Amino acid sequence: MSLLLYSFFGLVGLLLILFAWSVRAPERLASSSAPTDALDECGRRHMEYLPQIRQAFAETDYDFLSENASREVLRRVRQERRSVALAYLAALREDFQNLLRMARAITVLSPELAAGHEFERIRLTAKFAWQYQMIRWTLLAGFAPVPQLHGLSDLVSGLSVRIEAALKELGERAAVAAELASSMNRRGLDVV
Amino acid sequence: MNEIVTFERILWAFMVLLNGGLLLLLLLRKNHRAFPIFFAYVFLNFLQCFLIFGSYRIWGFNSPVTSRMAWGSQVFVSGARALAVGQICHRVLAKYRGIWALAKRLLVVTAVVVLLYSWAVARGSWEFAVLNADRGTELAIASVIVILFLFTRYYEVPVEPAVRTLAIGFFLYSCFYVLNITILEGRMYDYVTLWNLLGTLAFVASMMLWVCGLRDRQPETTLEPELLPGGIYNEVAPEINERLRALNDHLSRSWRMERKRS
Repeated sequence: MSLLLYSFFGLVGLLLILFAWSVRAPERLASSSAPTDALDECGRRHMEYLPQIRQAFAETDYDFLSENASREVLRRVRQERRSVALAYLAALREDFQNLLRMARAITVLSPELAAGHEFERIRLTAKFAWQYQMIRWTLLAGFAPVPQLHGLSDLVSGLSVRIEAALKELGERAAVAAELASSMNRRGLDVV
Repeated sequence: MNEIVTFERILWAFMVLLNGGLLLLLLLRKNHRAFPIFFAYVFLNFLQCFLIFGSYRIWGFNSPVTSRMAWGSQVFVSGARALAVGQICHRVLAKYRGIWALAKRLLVVTAVVVLLYSWAVARGSWEFAVLNADRGTELAIASVIVILFLFTRYYEVPVEPAVRTLAIGFFLYSCFYVLNITILEGRMYDYVTLWNLLGTLAFVASMMLWVCGLRDRQPETTLEPELLPGGIYNEVAPEINERLRALNDHLSRSWRMERKRS
């Protein structure tokens, strides 16, 4: 049997893995609220805790501690800063996923769409997932200090006016969609 | 070897009974209206069983006429299979006009690429032409089903349990068929009997899945969601992508900064 024929085995194996992944029930997203509510909530929460997060990451605090505190305290502080960094990363990811959820909701209900935007979103999702995991593993392994928070306020400043306007329209349709979803559930349909 | 042949005969009889049972079930539950192409496929399969059985009786198991009859009828059965999978894709996605337009193109391209790939990779001799075409079709069917489910997962599109079961049955059988033919191509004559037996077993398993999935009556049409006006997507999609890009940039900026610092 030629080597190329073995590629059929590889291909079938890959298809089986992809199929198993795509058929299993998706992780239920933590919040069952509409994507727009989730985004607003997210932004507000980040803004609320921004001063504390910035304080936790401040270089001056750390410099002061390294000169005046014991090694034990310094180690604990480093650990806590790492936990904050991980929580911050998780919050960024949540922001990203909420945006994705909203984009999908709009895409599914749109009569026509642009393949370019859809593929761009997939590319951005893959890039984000890769970067997120790399940073997370590096932080967990203790190979890197905590990340900087420059520009965080720009990111949590809420949605643009144009998105807000479009979402208003979506909100009006949401009731219809919710009604449709509940009637589907009543009939025993499932989300794959 | 004799035990295998006897067992295969029993299995074959069981398969024909199951096939007939599935046809009856489709008619009794009126599911032939919801899945007409699937019904046609099951019916063609049922006819093929009798055609091949008749050929064995008249011309014998190893006759070239029997072989031509079997592979000739297989063209129609495989065609119906592919169309039935197309119907599944249509039923799941067609009500979402936007993503259906995108998915349709993607599914057709996937099927063509996979067919070309399997043809290019396979042996060039005419002896294997039918086998290769059949394998290519099955591989294309499996790939299309995977793309369909990736789509439904990504866009969180609901899938009826019965449709999902049908798709799983098609997918598992297609995967198994591709592997079975690939082994047959490598070992040819000493594998034929086992190849037949395993193929029949896999098909019986698929049919049992379909019987389970279609035991209840399915709606002929599914509910259509209320779609948004066309302009909204064009306004919002670039904005959201821009924001996703900003989050990505922020992440990579802080990552680069950290690499410099460390």
